[in-house]
Amino acid sequence: MTLDWSVVWDNRWRLIAGAEMTVILTATTMALALPGGLLLALLRLSHVHLVRSSTTGFVEFFRATPLILQIYWIFYVLPAAFDIRLSEFVTALLGLSLNVSSFNSETFRAGILSIRPGQWNAALALGMTKPQVLRKIILPQATLRVLPALASTWVSLFKDTSLVSIIAVADLSYVSLKIRSETYRVLEVLTAMGALYCLMGYPQAKLVDWMHRRFKVVE
Amino acid sequence: MIAKRKTKSRPRIGSGTAPILSFEGVVKRYGPLEALAGVSFQVHRGEVVCLIGPSGSGKSTLLRCANALETIDGGRVVLEGVEVHDRRTDARKLRRRMGMVFQNFELFPHLTVLRNVAVGPTTVLGMPQRQAAERATELLRKVGLADKAAHYPASLSGGQQQRVAIARALAMQPDVMLFDEPTSALDPETIGEVLSVMKRLADEGMTMVVVTHEMDFAKRVGNWIVVFDHGKVVEQGPPQQVFDEPTVQRTRDFLSHLGWHGESLAAADLLVQPSSTDP
Repeated sequence: MTLDWSVVWDNRWRLIAGAEMTVILTATTMALALPGGLLLALLRLSHVHLVRSSTTGFVEFFRATPLILQIYWIFYVLPAAFDIRLSEFVTALLGLSLNVSSFNSETFRAGILSIRPGQWNAALALGMTKPQVLRKIILPQATLRVLPALASTWVSLFKDTSLVSIIAVADLSYVSLKIRSETYRVLEVLTAMGALYCLMGYPQAKLVDWMHRRFKVVE
Repeated sequence: MIAKRKTKSRPRIGSGTAPILSFEGVVKRYGPLEALAGVSFQVHRGEVVCLIGPSGSGKSTLLRCANALETIDGGRVVLEGVEVHDRRTDARKLRRRMGMVFQNFELFPHLTVLRNVAVGPTTVLGMPQRQAAERATELLRKVGLADKAAHYPASLSGGQQQRVAIARALAMQPDVMLFDEPTSALDPETIGEVLSVMKRLADEGMTMVVVTHEMDFAKRVGNWIVVFDHGKVVEQGPPQQVFDEPTVQRTRDFLSHLGWHGESLAAADLLVQPSSTDP
C-alpha cells in the first residue's frame, strides 16, 4: 500500500477552515451555555415547585438523550412540526448549547449547593438580599470550585462538535470526511484529521489538568 | 497559690426602662422536637446578656430567631417596638441593626480581610468603596488586625478570623451584637484574644447577647445570665445569683457538670492577660 500525503497538503486550506469552524462552534456554544447553565441551575433551586420540576425535566431530557438525536430533532422536527426553519449553523449551535447548558446547570447547581449554609447566614445577617448573597458571596465561590468541571465539559464539547457534521456544518469532521470521499485517501485524511483534533485538544486538556491543580478547594 | 481575685459583677443596666430586645414566649419546633418551648427574657441597651446551658438546649436557635434567620412557631421577638417575625416587617432592615458572630466565623473565603469587613456597608448600605475601606481599616485596628487587611481569611488563625468576623459585624454599626458560641471552635490559646475584644466592646457600652460556655466571661462581663435547658429558661438573674447562689437544681447540675466551683483561676486569667490584640 502506498501512501500519498499530498492530498492533505493540497487540501490544507479547507482543513484549516474546518478547524476554524470547530473552534468557533466550541467557543460560541460555551459562551451561550455558561449563562444558560447558570440560569437553569438557579431555576432548579427555585422555591416554586412548578419552576423547579419543569426545569428538572428539561435538563434531564437533554442529559438522558444522545446529542445526535437532539441535533436531528431540531434539524428535522422543528421545521416540519412548527415551521421553524434555522440554518445549519444555527441548528448546530442551538443543539449544542441546549445540551451543554444542561450539563453546565448540573455543575453550577452542585457548586452552589457545595457552599455551606453558614455562608448564606453570615451574608443574610449583614442585611443582604438573597440575590446580593448569591452574586457577591455564593456564586464567586461556587464558580471557582466548579471551574475544573466546566473546563472538562469544554474539552468534551470541543470533540462533540464533530457530531454537527451530520447536518452539513462545515467543521473539521465534515470537511475531512468530504475530502476522504472525494479522494478515497482514507488513511491519510483520517490521520490528518486526528492529528489536527489532537493538536488543538491536547493543550486544552493540559489546561484542564492545570486548573484542577490550581483551583483545588482549600477550606 | 495565687489569691482568689475578687470581682464584682456588673449591675443590671436600665431595668425598668423599655428593653431594646425582648423575647416573649418564643416557640420553635423542628418536626416533633420543641427546640424552644416558650422562652422569655429581655435585653436592655448597654447590657451584656449571656445565655448558658447544655448543648442542644436551644441557645443558638434562639439567637438565630432573634434576627429572623429562623422563623418562629409562637410568641414574639421585639426589637425596639418592631416585631421581628411580623410579615410586614422587613427582616433585612432589622438584621442591619443586629450584628451576628458565628461559632465557625463564616468569613467569606474569596474576599480579603478588608473586603470581608467592607462588603456589608458597600452592598447593603451602598457606601462608596473608599469610605467603606476606611471604616473597615478603623475596625480592623480596633480588633488588632490592621496589618492583616490584605490577607485572605484562610491564612489567619482561628482567633484572628473570629476577630475579623466581629469587625465585619461592627461595620454595619449595629445596635445589638449577637454572639453564637464565638470561642467554641477556637484553640485554647486564641480564646483569650477574642474574649478580650468582646470585653472591650462591652466596656464601650455595646449591647450584647452572648451564647457561651465561657463561665468566667459570663460572670465577669455579663450583666444578666439566662440559663437554658431543654428549650426552656430554667433560671435568669444577675451573675452573682446564678453562679454563686443558683436557685434551681438544674442550674446547679449544669454548673457542677462544667466543673464550676466559683471562679476558675486559669480561665479567669485569660481575660486580664495582656493580649496580642493590643497594638
